[in-house]
Amino acid sequence: MTTTHPTTDERQELVRLTADLLGRHCGPEQLRERLDAGTAHTPELWGRLAETGLVSALVAEERGGAGLDPSYLSGVLVSLGEHAVPEPFLETAVVATSVLAAFPDSALAVSWLERIGAGDALVAVRLGALTPYVVHAGDADLVLDLAEDGTVRALLPADVDVTPVQALDPLRPLATVIRRGEDAGTVLGVAPAAVERARVLAVAGAACLLAGASRRLLDLTVEYVGVRRQFDRPVGSFQAVKHAIADLAVMVDMATSAALSAFDAVDEPDARRRAWAAKAYAGDAADRANVSALQLHGGIGFTWEYHLHLWLKRVMGLAASYGTTVTLRRELAVELLARTGEATER
Amino acid sequence: MSAEMSTETSTVEEFRAEVRAWLEAHVPAEPLPSWTERAGFDLHRAWERTLFEGGYAAVDWPAAYGGRDAGLRRSIAFAEEYYRAGAPERINMGGLYLLGPVLMQYGTPEQCERWIPDLLACRTIWCQGFSEPESGSDLASLRTRAERDGDHYVVNGQKIWTSMGGFADWIFALVRTDPEVGRRRKHHGITFLCIDLRSPGVEVRPLAMVDGTRGFAEVFFTDVRVPVENVVGEVDQGWRVAMSTLGFERGAVFGDHAKFTADVEALAALVRVRGLEDDTRALDELGRVLVETEVYRANVYRLAGIAEAGGDLDSTASINKVFWTQMQHDIFATGLRLMEEDGAVVGDPAAVPYADAATRRSWADWHHRYWYARAAMIFGGTNEIQRNIISERVLGLPMEPRP
Ligand SMILES: Cc1cc2nc3c(=O)[nH]c(=O)nc-3n(C[C@H](O)[C@H](O)[C@H](O)COP(=O)(O)OP(=O)(O)OC[C@H]3O[C@@H](n4cnc5c(N)ncnc54)[C@H](O)[C@@H]3O)c2cc1C
Repeated sequence: MTTTHPTTDERQELVRLTADLLGRHCGPEQLRERLDAGTAHTPELWGRLAETGLVSALVAEERGGAGLDPSYLSGVLVSLGEHAVPEPFLETAVVATSVLAAFPDSALAVSWLERIGAGDALVAVRLGALTPYVVHAGDADLVLDLAEDGTVRALLPADVDVTPVQALDPLRPLATVIRRGEDAGTVLGVAPAAVERARVLAVAGAACLLAGASRRLLDLTVEYVGVRRQFDRPVGSFQAVKHAIADLAVMVDMATSAALSAFDAVDEPDARRRAWAAKAYAGDAADRANVSALQLHGGIGFTWEYHLHLWLKRVMGLAASYGTTVTLRRELAVELLARTGEATER
Repeated sequence: MSAEMSTETSTVEEFRAEVRAWLEAHVPAEPLPSWTERAGFDLHRAWERTLFEGGYAAVDWPAAYGGRDAGLRRSIAFAEEYYRAGAPERINMGGLYLLGPVLMQYGTPEQCERWIPDLLACRTIWCQGFSEPESGSDLASLRTRAERDGDHYVVNGQKIWTSMGGFADWIFALVRTDPEVGRRRKHHGITFLCIDLRSPGVEVRPLAMVDGTRGFAEVFFTDVRVPVENVVGEVDQGWRVAMSTLGFERGAVFGDHAKFTADVEALAALVRVRGLEDDTRALDELGRVLVETEVYRANVYRLAGIAEAGGDLDSTASINKVFWTQMQHDIFATGLRLMEEDGAVVGDPAAVPYADAATRRSWADWHHRYWYARAAMIFGGTNEIQRNIISERVLGLPMEPRP
C-alpha cells in the first residue's frame, strides 16, 4: 500500500472542521455537564464525530470509510487534545481501525471495522505494559487485546472483568481489564508488525493529544494574564510572568512539532524512536504546562468552579498513559546503547 | 537557506551517497587542533579550501558562487553526513551562516559577486561587529559613528566580543549614520556596513575567553575610511538588515540536528566505557538529551516543510534559539556529569578511550564545546531577550512599561 500524505491545505481544512465542531459541541460547559452527570462518553458527541467522517477516516473505502493514511489525523488529534474530548477517538478510530485492517480474512475483524466506520462501536485497547489501565474500557463494545508477541484478541464485554478505578481525570475513565479465563475472546491472529504499528500509533497519538491539551493550558494562561490586573497593570506585563510563559511556549511548540512529525512517520523505519521521543517530550511539556498554568492563574485556577482543572487533569492523565516520560526515555537510552554498541564492535 | 527549486538532478539518496564517499576520502583521520591557535586555524582554513574545491562549501547556495544549488533536502542530507563523518568544525560561520544569506537577501548583484565567492572559498573570513561595550542586549543604543565624506564613510568607535575577530579579514558592522534621528528613535539611523579589517585606523585586540583561548576580540575604529558601496541595504535602514542577520543566527540551520545526534552518540559511548549501561541515573540522563535531539530533528524537518511551502519562519526563530541552545547545554553538561571526576580533566582523551574516530574527535574538544554551549545562550540576543520577544511579539502579552 502506498501512503499518501495530506497537503498543507487538506490538513488545515481537517483541523478547521474539527475545531469548529468541537467548539460548538465540546466546550467547557458541555464538559462540565458531563462531569456533573458522571459520564465521559456521550453517543451524541460520538455521533457528530462519526457524521463528519472523522471516525471512519482510516477505514478502507470498501468497508465504508475514507481509506486515508493516518497522517490525515495528526492535526485532528492535537485539536481533540485542545478540547479535552472525552471520547476514545485515538483508541477506536486510529488504533483499532489500524489493527483490525491487518486481518482482512477474518469476518469478525471485518464486521467490527464496518461497525466502527458506521459510528456504532466504541473500542478500547489493551497494549501490554503501555496500558496498565485501559481507557474507556467501561464504555467499550469491544476490547482489543494486543499482546507483546503480536497476538490480537477480540474481547466482548462478556469475555472480561472490567473494574473501573477512580481516575484523576474523570473525563478520561480508566479501568483494569482482566480476561475471564484463558479461552475468553477470539484470537484474530498473530501479527507482530500490526501490533508494533498500533503501539507506535497509540504512543504518537497520545503525544498529539497531550501537545494539544498543553497548548490549551498555554492559551488559557496567556488570555488570563492579559486581563487580570494587579498593581495597576496586567499581570502579564511582569517579566517573571512573561518568561515563565515563554519557556512554556517553547516546550509546547516543540512538543507539537515532534508529535505531529512522529504521527506522520508511523510507517518510517525509525517510527518507534520518533514516537517514543515525542511522547516523552510531550510529557515534559505537559508537566510544565500544568505547573505554570495553575501558578499563573493564582487562586481562581484552584477552584472547582473555574474550568482550568479540566485541562490540568487531562495532561496529568495523558502523561501517565501510553508510556511515561521516564520509561520511554529509558527505553530509548537502552536502544541507543544497543544500536551504537553494535556499530563500535563492527 | 534557499528553499526554492534546485537544479541538482540527483535524488537526495544519490546525493547523500556521493557526499558520504567524498567525506570518507577527504576528512582528516585525526581531529584538527583547535582553531583558536594560529596553527590549528590554518589547518581549518585549508580544510575549508578542500571543501570548496569539492563543491561542498555551501551546497544549497547558487552554483554561480561555487555552491551546488542543491535545495533544502539535499543540504540537510549533506549536514547529516558531515557530522556523521566527524568532519572539522566550520570556521567561517559569520560569513557562511550570517553574511552570505543576508547578502543574498539585501545585497546588490555587485556585492554578491564581490564577496560571496571569496567567503565560500574561505579566502576571506568574516566577523560580526554588532555588540559594543555599552550596547549589548540594547543593541539599538549603539554609538559607533560613520560620517559621510564624499564617496566614503569615516568610521569611529568600538566593537567588542567579536568572534574570530583576531583571525578575520573583514567585519560586517552596525554603525550610526544619523545620530539626530537616532536620538528620537534609536532603531533608525543605523547602517549595515562591510569594513576591510586591513584598512588604516582599524585595531583588533584579541581577548582571551573563559577557557583561555583567543576566540573573540575588541575592534577599534579611528577615522577608518570605508567606500559607500560597502553599505548593505539602505543607508539608515540597517536595523532591518541586522534583524534579518539575527534571524539567521537564531533560526534553524537546516541539518545541524545531525551534530547533536553525533554528540549524543558520543555520550552513549561514554556510558558504555564507564560501565553505566545498567545505571538508571545514567540512562535517564542519556535518555533526556536523546529525546531533546529527536525533538529538535523533528522540528528541523517541520520547519523545512514550511520553508518549502513558501511559509515564513520569522516567528519561529526565537523559540528555536531558546530550545537548541538549552539542548546543546544539556548535552555538554550531561557529558561532564557522566565523566564524574574525569570531567575536571580538560581534553584528556585518555579519560575517554574510544575506538571510532568520530567519537574520539568529539571528546577531544568536549570542554571547548561545553563553553561554546554556554556562550550560545548569551550571543545572538540572550535567551532572556528571546523570552521577551516570544512573550511580547509571538504571544502578544502586554508590553513591559518602557521608561
Ligand atoms: C562567546 C561570545 C561570542 C560573541 N560573539 C559576538 C560577535 O561575533 N559579534 C557580536 O556583535 N557580538 C558577539 N557577542 C556578544 C553578545 O551578542 C552579547 O554578549 C549579548 O548580546 C549580551 O550583551 P551583553 O554582553 O552586553 O550583556 P547585557 O545586555 O549587559 O546583559 C546582562 C544580563 O542582563 C540580561 N538582560 C539585559 N536586558 C534584559 C532585558 N530587557 N530583560 C531581561 N534580561 C535582560 C541579559 O539577558 C543578561 O543575562 C558574543 C558573546 C559571547 C559570549
